[in-house]
Amino acid sequence: MMEKVKKFMARGNTSWNMLLVALLVLEFVVFGIANDRFLRPALLFTSINDNLPTFMLSLFVTLVMVTGGIDIQVSSLVGLTSITIGVAWQDFGLPIWGAVGVAFLLVTLCGAFSGFLIAYCRVQAMVVTLGGSFLYSGMALLVSTLSKTESYLGISGFPEDFRFLGTYDVGGVIPIQILIYALMLVVAFILLHKTKYGRRVVLTGVNQSAAEYSGINTRRVIMSTYVLSAIAAAIAGTVVTSYLGTSRSDLGGDLTMDVITAVVLGGTLNTGGKGSIIGTALASFLIAFLRFGLPLCFDVSTQYLNIPVGILLVAVIVGRTATSGSGLLPWLRSLLPGKSSERASTSGK
Amino acid sequence: MQYVKKLLKARGLTSALFLVALFLVVGAINPSFLTPGNISACFNTSVVYTLVAVGMAFTLFIGEIDVSVGANIGLVAAVVGTLLRDGQPLVVACGAGILIGAVIGLINAWGVAIMKAPSLIFTLGVNGVLRGVLYVYTNGAWVENLPKDFKDFSAVTAVGDLTVYYCVTILVVICIHLLLTRTKRGRYFHAVGDNAQGATLVGLPTMQTKVLAYVICGVMAAVAGIIFASRIGFVTPQSGNGYEMKAIAACVLGGVSLLGGVGSVVGSAIGAVIMASISYLLVFMGFSSNYDNAITGIILIIVVVGDALIQHRSIVKNRRARLMARVSDGTTAADADAEKGGDAA
Repeated sequence: MMEKVKKFMARGNTSWNMLLVALLVLEFVVFGIANDRFLRPALLFTSINDNLPTFMLSLFVTLVMVTGGIDIQVSSLVGLTSITIGVAWQDFGLPIWGAVGVAFLLVTLCGAFSGFLIAYCRVQAMVVTLGGSFLYSGMALLVSTLSKTESYLGISGFPEDFRFLGTYDVGGVIPIQILIYALMLVVAFILLHKTKYGRRVVLTGVNQSAAEYSGINTRRVIMSTYVLSAIAAAIAGTVVTSYLGTSRSDLGGDLTMDVITAVVLGGTLNTGGKGSIIGTALASFLIAFLRFGLPLCFDVSTQYLNIPVGILLVAVIVGRTATSGSGLLPWLRSLLPGKSSERASTSGK
Repeated sequence: MQYVKKLLKARGLTSALFLVALFLVVGAINPSFLTPGNISACFNTSVVYTLVAVGMAFTLFIGEIDVSVGANIGLVAAVVGTLLRDGQPLVVACGAGILIGAVIGLINAWGVAIMKAPSLIFTLGVNGVLRGVLYVYTNGAWVENLPKDFKDFSAVTAVGDLTVYYCVTILVVICIHLLLTRTKRGRYFHAVGDNAQGATLVGLPTMQTKVLAYVICGVMAAVAGIIFASRIGFVTPQSGNGYEMKAIAACVLGGVSLLGGVGSVVGSAIGAVIMASISYLLVFMGFSSNYDNAITGIILIIVVVGDALIQHRSIVKNRRARLMARVSDGTTAADADAEKGGDAA
């Protein structure tokens, strides 16, 4: 059993995931002692609900960053999805699921467009997705002007069978959108760690030329990761529209920092070639509970929460780069009981 | 290679031509735009962007990036604003602001140059921390009631309709450009960005250059923050949000490469004017300001994609020319083409 667990964890970066788990446990202990309301499932689920877009986006942005790219446009795609659903449903009279379909199509095309420019025109991912974040948030604003509802009000009054996506609790406890997230988590995990496609993504990130020479269509792989992250943004946009019950063009506007923080904190190298879905998921939970627990247990104003999250990001990135190779990670490994030599030998990958 | 070099040298010029073309197109659609007052207004509104973009250009030259400038502007504007409101002399307030900018620059430099953290992620974290510090400092409230003199100074004109701020900024940009192109130390930035290891091997102070670039970027953002407070007249906890992305976009429009080593501060200053005047120009073209972001995004994408395609083509062309010269006796052109295809991939 232990072997199986270890093997499972070794999918990504064992000691790093262990550290994240330890930090999560620490959070639960500290916040739980400070205020036992923190441990109530209903409240915990609420806090997860509030951060769900970040969770969903970071899973697939991990794939992008494993190829060595970056995607700072996903947050604008969330708003584009939301407003497209609203306008297509309210002002163009489409059935609600038809509107969702239109939004998915549009956002996927947006992701494919950026991915195409990055993969086939060899423009830097950072610049294209920066342009994309302007373009798609601008498009969202323009879509909102097609509506007769003033854009700052947001479109609301969605039918029940759409609202249930964000409000229904399975078994009366678990919100349905958490199950959607769990499904996405499994899909992302299998995609990156269990399939040929995942190996291609990793290889492309390690060395694009080498991957190209070994017969991988690296351009298609790179483009596909941006399409996948756009689809994740579409799902997140749909779920958050349903959860909040209004469709706005500026939803998700400031998620970029949280998404990148989660991915990097999760152990994905920003230079590509290495990353772990489990790590990303753990890191996004770590941030979410930090953002939820500090105001609840220590009366920290929510507006100050950028400080601890920023410090976490800075500390992790400095710590990891300063000690990469021969420092922190082997040191952490040596803290774990036994097997240190074996783990060290597999860590280079 | 000659062709590439020429092209790279002309990058600042292309963005200047683009700006002129933009003005002429808008003037053709709506002739009432082409007055000195309107054109000066485009330049005057760009003063904050110009300063941030020029600072940003330094970090891009060395092949890094600084996305903490947005919060830097906000924090400096808030600190300078409160100091002035509380009756401190202008010199003290501005000194404090510039000091804050320099310290932020040093923090970034420590992380990126000395600890070797990836710059995008490190400065993203610093941006978050600074934004939080700004909330703590202002308690979430707006900084208002700035001295009237301080606010009115932003409207004082020096040459024609151009404000004192913009004229001074332009002089500073020209000085920086001359320093960068005419002095030995000025060339270090591009050298480090082009090839950091090579620069170290030939004995350039790589680390020092990187630290200097970040400090300059922080100080420029601080000056931008002071002018921001003067122009806008109040500071909110969200002030400066998004300026980092607009500054990067301005640099890219001005021909600065994010890979480092390429571009000029004059180019990024022109890019800043393009970025700042888009919303102003849209009004004259009869569009609502809702189109602002979409048009900005489209222009940015067209410029970078066009640039990448032209560069790629010239690289392939040069490679083919080199190969053809090498294989001109004996080997067939088919071999050269095959090799070229391999290289391109």
